Amino acid sequence: MTVMSRAWGRLTLPGKVIFTAIPLLLALGVALALVVGILGGPIVELASQYGAVLRFLVAATIILVITIPTAFLIIFMEMKIIAFMNLRVGPDRVGPWGTLLSVVHGLKVLMKEDFTPSRADPLIFTLAPVVVYGSSVMTLVVLPFAPGLFAQDFNIGLLYFFAMGGLAVVGLLMAGWSSFNKYSLLGGLRSAAQMVSYEIPLTLSVAGLLLLAGTMSVNQLVANQSGWFTNWYVFQQPLGFLIFFIAVTAEANRTPFDLTEADSEIVAGFATEYSGMRFGFFFFAEYVNVFIVSAMTVALFFGGWNAPFPFPALAILLDPGSLGIWLLLGIAIVPLVGTLVLSLPFLLTRSAMPAWQAIVLGFVLFNVAVVGLLGVWAFVSFDWVAGLLWFLAKTYVFVFTFVWMRATLPRVRIDQLMGFAWKWLMPAALLNLFVTAGAILVVGR
Amino acid sequence: MTAVWYVVGFAFAAVSFVFVTIGAAWLISHRNRGDVHKGVPYESGIDTYGDTHGRFGLSFYIYALLFVAFDIEVIFIYLWAIVFRDLMATGFVSMVVFVAILLLGLAYAWRKGVLTWR
Repeated sequence: MTVMSRAWGRLTLPGKVIFTAIPLLLALGVALALVVGILGGPIVELASQYGAVLRFLVAATIILVITIPTAFLIIFMEMKIIAFMNLRVGPDRVGPWGTLLSVVHGLKVLMKEDFTPSRADPLIFTLAPVVVYGSSVMTLVVLPFAPGLFAQDFNIGLLYFFAMGGLAVVGLLMAGWSSFNKYSLLGGLRSAAQMVSYEIPLTLSVAGLLLLAGTMSVNQLVANQSGWFTNWYVFQQPLGFLIFFIAVTAEANRTPFDLTEADSEIVAGFATEYSGMRFGFFFFAEYVNVFIVSAMTVALFFGGWNAPFPFPALAILLDPGSLGIWLLLGIAIVPLVGTLVLSLPFLLTRSAMPAWQAIVLGFVLFNVAVVGLLGVWAFVSFDWVAGLLWFLAKTYVFVFTFVWMRATLPRVRIDQLMGFAWKWLMPAALLNLFVTAGAILVVGR
Repeated sequence: MTAVWYVVGFAFAAVSFVFVTIGAAWLISHRNRGDVHKGVPYESGIDTYGDTHGRFGLSFYIYALLFVAFDIEVIFIYLWAIVFRDLMATGFVSMVVFVAILLLGLAYAWRKGVLTWR
């Protein structure tokens, strides 16, 4: 409690106002949701009139909001998995198994002093994290999370993805140049040289895949890979996948290629002079980028939201509408009976436990069971739920791989880095492209 | 046309999200003015020496130049890849010629040693 009161004392006056305003705003939001629920009719009418605008607003809000838990989850994974790989315990104090530590990190960064060095260019210094973060979330527009669950399906989706991803270079250069610091300048220039060099093999490696698919829409590319897992493009483009994965690691500035930050050589690279939330956005963008590149690898080479094998269509066993009066009875009785049944083991075996605790535990267990059953029901009956789950599962396998590489591989030297991009990856990507084209020519379709 | 508005609107949303967050952080964070030393660039504790935006390696520039040439090539290759099934042999030969010309440039750069970092 003393920690809380001390933190409260350190807040400025507007901070106190904002922290008291947050619960009020939440209550307002709930009230608004209730009003929307009650006045559903006219609002649905309005929504059908401005359907595209509404869809855009929902998509933009969801995409911007999901980046926050995603980044927190990946930061936590990084801390915990690397700790286990180093035979340490890792974070274990805040929340169960330390799961809330990354949230605390986020709040800490939010409350830190945001300082501009006296000789920096304040405008560009502020705009740089905006460009870096903006470029990474702009790529999320074309990512298909599940059938029907995407912001927008462009016919040039893949080109858009690479174009927006490439904008990050501008942001890093702006950060490096405007900080007025030699480490920052070196870091910015290094990152520009690195990302620009790996952009070529990255974009070329996918050209073979485009030859096979004949479309640039990411949604269509994913749909092409449906059915058994042998339809995934990784089996037709193994070399393309390898080049893509290596180049994407360099683009996201992950470990074997993290020369832009290189904390043992140039302090923190382009982020040396940054502090507070502007610093926070660089790292926010980095972790969102890890998610995005994993998701894109999955979408292009591992079938996206497709299951690895075609599911047998399961029929819904029970139609709730046909139950009539029994449905009402069920709603009235099942929670009561379920709670009592689930609290019975506690009541019978733990004699030291008060009865009310056992009943509360039973109620919690009942809710968990209901949510689990609902999840199974949704997985079976809505294909977007199943698609989303498959997509996230595959994506987090790749996020894990990135973390694993960080725990395993040492950083490369900059001459090795640049030489590898131009002398090995680019010729290999061109070879992959022409072998694919030749194969299509020979097969004739 | 919707696609364009999606991109524009989304860029606006993302930028305003960042600015709102930075603004909120600015409102709740603790600040002090400090003295002259606070605003000095951090260069490992030593006062900054010489011109910061002075001369830096020429190789950065050469990589940028190579990048421009090859990235434009990639756009052509993408469009060609989409319509490849309509062009077949003609398309294949013309793309081989196109890439060969660019590879000549790459071979020249390689021979001159600019791909080796110095």
